[in-house]
Amino acid sequence: MTDAVNGTDNGSVRGAENGRNGGLKSGPDPGAKGGLPDGAAGGTTAAGAGRAAVGGADAMIRVENLQKSFGRLEVLKGITTGIARGEVVAVIGPSGSGKSTFLRCLNRLEEPTGGKVWIDGLDITDKKTDITAVRQRIGMVFQHFHLFPHMTVLDNICYAPVKVKGWTREKAEAKAMELLARVGLADKAREYPSKLSGGQKQRAAIARSLAMEPEIMLFDEPTSALDPEMVKEVLEVIRGLAHTGITMVIVTHEMKFAREASDTVYFLDQGLLLEKSPPAKFFSSPETERARQFLDKVL
Amino acid sequence: MNLDFGVLADKWQYLLGGAYYTLLFTFVSALFGFALGTILSLFKISGIAPLRWFATAYTSVFRGTPLLLQLAIIYYATPQLLNYKISPLLAAGLAFGLNSAAYLSETIRAGIMAVDRGQREAAIALGIPYRMMMKDIILPQAFKNILPAIVNECIALLKESSLVSVIGVADLMRRANIVSADTFRFFEPLIFVGAIYYVLVLLLTALANRLERRLRRSD
Repeated sequence: MTDAVNGTDNGSVRGAENGRNGGLKSGPDPGAKGGLPDGAAGGTTAAGAGRAAVGGADAMIRVENLQKSFGRLEVLKGITTGIARGEVVAVIGPSGSGKSTFLRCLNRLEEPTGGKVWIDGLDITDKKTDITAVRQRIGMVFQHFHLFPHMTVLDNICYAPVKVKGWTREKAEAKAMELLARVGLADKAREYPSKLSGGQKQRAAIARSLAMEPEIMLFDEPTSALDPEMVKEVLEVIRGLAHTGITMVIVTHEMKFAREASDTVYFLDQGLLLEKSPPAKFFSSPETERARQFLDKVL
Repeated sequence: MNLDFGVLADKWQYLLGGAYYTLLFTFVSALFGFALGTILSLFKISGIAPLRWFATAYTSVFRGTPLLLQLAIIYYATPQLLNYKISPLLAAGLAFGLNSAAYLSETIRAGIMAVDRGQREAAIALGIPYRMMMKDIILPQAFKNILPAIVNECIALLKESSLVSVIGVADLMRRANIVSADTFRFFEPLIFVGAIYYVLVLLLTALANRLERRLRRSD
């Protein structure tokens, strides 16, 4: 589908429709000079990752020397990168490599212990930043769905737009029905989550996130808890979102999906971003020995 | 065998009337205890240390001293301290509510902790502010989980309410004692109010079962 080089081209085209407009409001980015992403450059390794980039002042997500420890366990050991508006990033790596923690630091579900994260120019590691407001612009999809079990599918989707964004119930329901149709669940609107299959739950959870009209979507192993026959229906929905202007970061074990749907593959190992390449390059000629070993095991 | 329920022929309405006070009092103290218990449970999981300390100390004191003593302190000591004659019903509602809150706060806290951590994360990720998250997402699920424990607490309150007879509220127990004193017969009035207590508990249980079925609709 998207090959490496035109990933960036698409980026600018898509930006014109969607992203760039948003870019105007982002204002001066305190750190826009460095660490910008560049899908085409690719292959920058560990220490210098992201630094080699040129690109426009359009980083939707910027991460600088991000560290996270749980007690004495160092999970992230300094990750620096930038993700462009509309870019689709697949984060892969062995279990325990820090993929999920990296993702969870991007909306501060996990409190970083060092380094900085900017979302559209806002430093979310700064305690003065209204993190709740930033989170309203970032959708997140979890491995175990986390639908609200005491609400119908429709109420799950409408709750945040109505209560948080102040939409009318009519507007939220119209949006919800549109999204449910898009994920193929229009007939399940009045059901409780317990009546849905795993794949349906995950699609409903995606619709719930999309109802907030997020600029960024984070996916934390969205298909890992699903029965094999339900993986595809969820990946199809996620693939449908890619390149519609939403910036996407997807932690996944689905290599085929990562290869086909992403603009950039991040390979994490032992808390470091070891490799950052276009998928075509990463899967055919990975630069690091660790990535080669990993690919040998999973492919 | 010296047993004659005929002696209650002109007393049973009076005895039954005590059920009104017993129920009123159970209802008021359960409601008060539940509201205060919820607030205390939120204090206990709060990030603000003084709130946690307060709630913990509160529970410790109210669980660590006899209910009858608390009732006596509120009823007899308040007038001495504040120069305010507290009504028996208010004193009893207050004592039982305060006491019940101490127990319920622990139950509710356990209920909150038992809600899947993912629920909280999903709400946070959607940008739902803490207060709304608690009110609409976490507490409804917590209450559903602990409904049987809350019913237990209500049943305990209903029965313990017989303690208010000592400060002169004309509840079931007090009326049974009055009738006993009038007729010099103990067994009949006591058995009669005992049956009323039992029926009230059965009704309460039936009500709770219906509520539980309604809450389980989403399962």
